[in-house]
Amino acid sequence: MALDAKKLRADFPVLSSSKTIYFDSACTSLKPRAVIDAEAGYYSELSACAGRSHHSLAKKTENAFESSREKIARFVGAKPDELVFTKNTTEALNLVIRSLDYSQRKKVISTPLEHHSLLLPIMEQQRRGAVKMEMLGVLPDGSIDESSLSAIDRSTALVAMHHTTNTTGMAAPLEKIVKAAHDAGALVLVDSAQGVPHSRVDFRRLGADFLAFSGHKMCGPTGIGCLVGKKEAFELLDTFIVGGETVETVSLSAVKWKSAPKRFEAGIQNYAGAIGLAAACDYLSRAGMQNIEEHEKRMARALIEAIKSIPNSTIYGDQDASKRCALVSFNLKGVQPHQVALMADSMSKIALRSGVFCAQPGMEAIGAPKEGAVRASLYLYNTEEEVRIFSETMQKIARL
Amino acid sequence: MLCFVALGVFLFLSIFSAKYRPLARRALDCVAKKATLRPCDTGLDEEIKAASLSGIMKISPGAATFVNRHFEAFSLAFTLLFFVSLFFAAQGLYNFVIYGNCNGFEGGFCIYSGVQNELFLKAPTSLDGVSAGNPNANITFVEFGCYTCPYTKAAETGVHDIIRNYGSEVHYVYKAFPLPSHQYSKEAAIAAFCANDEGKYWEYRAALFENQTDVQLRGQAAFSDIARRLNLTGFDACYSSGKHNVDIQKSADECTASGIYGTPTFFVNGKAFAGPGAINDAEKEIKRLLGK
Repeated sequence: MALDAKKLRADFPVLSSSKTIYFDSACTSLKPRAVIDAEAGYYSELSACAGRSHHSLAKKTENAFESSREKIARFVGAKPDELVFTKNTTEALNLVIRSLDYSQRKKVISTPLEHHSLLLPIMEQQRRGAVKMEMLGVLPDGSIDESSLSAIDRSTALVAMHHTTNTTGMAAPLEKIVKAAHDAGALVLVDSAQGVPHSRVDFRRLGADFLAFSGHKMCGPTGIGCLVGKKEAFELLDTFIVGGETVETVSLSAVKWKSAPKRFEAGIQNYAGAIGLAAACDYLSRAGMQNIEEHEKRMARALIEAIKSIPNSTIYGDQDASKRCALVSFNLKGVQPHQVALMADSMSKIALRSGVFCAQPGMEAIGAPKEGAVRASLYLYNTEEEVRIFSETMQKIARL
Repeated sequence: MLCFVALGVFLFLSIFSAKYRPLARRALDCVAKKATLRPCDTGLDEEIKAASLSGIMKISPGAATFVNRHFEAFSLAFTLLFFVSLFFAAQGLYNFVIYGNCNGFEGGFCIYSGVQNELFLKAPTSLDGVSAGNPNANITFVEFGCYTCPYTKAAETGVHDIIRNYGSEVHYVYKAFPLPSHQYSKEAAIAAFCANDEGKYWEYRAALFENQTDVQLRGQAAFSDIARRLNLTGFDACYSSGKHNVDIQKSADECTASGIYGTPTFFVNGKAFAGPGAINDAEKEIKRLLGK
């Protein structure tokens, strides 16, 4: 059953209050009323802490928190004890990259297309001498050069890379990469900040060892993210942020740590965020991830056609819509990307992102100028009519 | 380049509203960077450019293209214009404080001062028109006004105060200036002449100012309504006869000869007063002449 975006729009209060054409969902998505209510529900009905106190409100909070964990884990095809709550994808990526033991293997493989949140922790580890970073090749169309997978060898500790890039919306050939990594005995960390929100992801089928994603990019609240990992992979990680509820026992001479996920969830957790994210998973499940994926392909096709029809426009990455989520980065000749975004907002209330999208090496790799590009990223609530207005606005701006 | 202009504008607006202060801070940051030959990275220039081009595009896409292609030149021109304006504004302020007129010792038109340069405004040669006060007085107080002009209406209380307080020592004369920019200006002047024929000029004049909005909207219908309320039995016949067209023309010719550019304009013994402070300055001049 096709997704009815026009009908879904009524669920998003921002769309009715601001009349904005919101094409910046890769930065953060809009939140439906159900998520807002669920998050507010924690503060109005529970507002206690989980896993510590024994009064009834604390028990209810514990139940709500753990059932949220269960629901979110199920949404990505994982078990509840395989899901660690984090602040966001960035924290989840840092957790793995900074906590892994590199004493036996020092090589970390990544790609130039990564978000700074993934690149910088690796670069920091390299600066400290803990790892040696190597990059897979990138082809001119923005895809991974599969011939460079030979760089993954027995000295590789970790292959850390995107599920879907935030610059072109193209997905990485993860099946081949995971196989190559596992054949070499390396772990695989997938940055799925742009993957989980836009397509059905099954952690088991994906085969990766770790999967990181954020709530706010999938209709959930800000301040909540997840690191999904195989139990045995979590065992390979040292502690990261430590504190309350990460330990079984503490004496001044010895600490007995809890096992994952609790070992990595120090201090009071973002209960409201977790409950809100579970509500977002429910919302997306009701809409149907398959329907969302098909809707995004349609939107991607419409976007690409709209931009291609503008003389002297440049689209970065493969122009085949079937290889993308509804995300297109582009430039209009003679107009700076920031100008395009500012004018689109001013002329037609279209919210676009401009710049290098926290992926400066990635933008360079796909051939964008140093000023970056303009990015239109759509989601389940966007319509063809909005793409038509976007197209008309871009045509006008391109004539400047 | 535009951040120089933006700084001045936003600093001024910041005095009245806190919402402009962050913009002023960004403009200041940008100016400081430009002044030290560093690139401005606040994004303010880009935002101003985008907002300007979007606004122009709504009116004319061609003009937006032209402005975009020559934006740096326009920015430079606006910045220079801004500094030149700033210089003249400061000079005017200085003159106003020191000499009481924006133009300094020599005088001339000044928006803050009613005292006008006699080179531009010449005293009328006749005292024809509706008059009040003492016809034999040594002081003549002439007003060029328009019944449908809001500024003439605003000065009306001051005019009445002068007539009431100094009527025995001042000869007041009103000359109608039918301004084309004011709806029914000429027709209102004819209507007032017709009321004068029946001895009810002042009552009619007061009603015209009191019902100025209605007069501007309904014209002749409003004139007739006022006439009926004042029992002016011959009004309609007078109004349609065109008998006062010649008076209006004469008054208009006098305005042209005197160089009148707006209403109300006053002359006190030939000295001109125009602009927002005109009636107050005219009164001061009368008091000065009377030694009060």
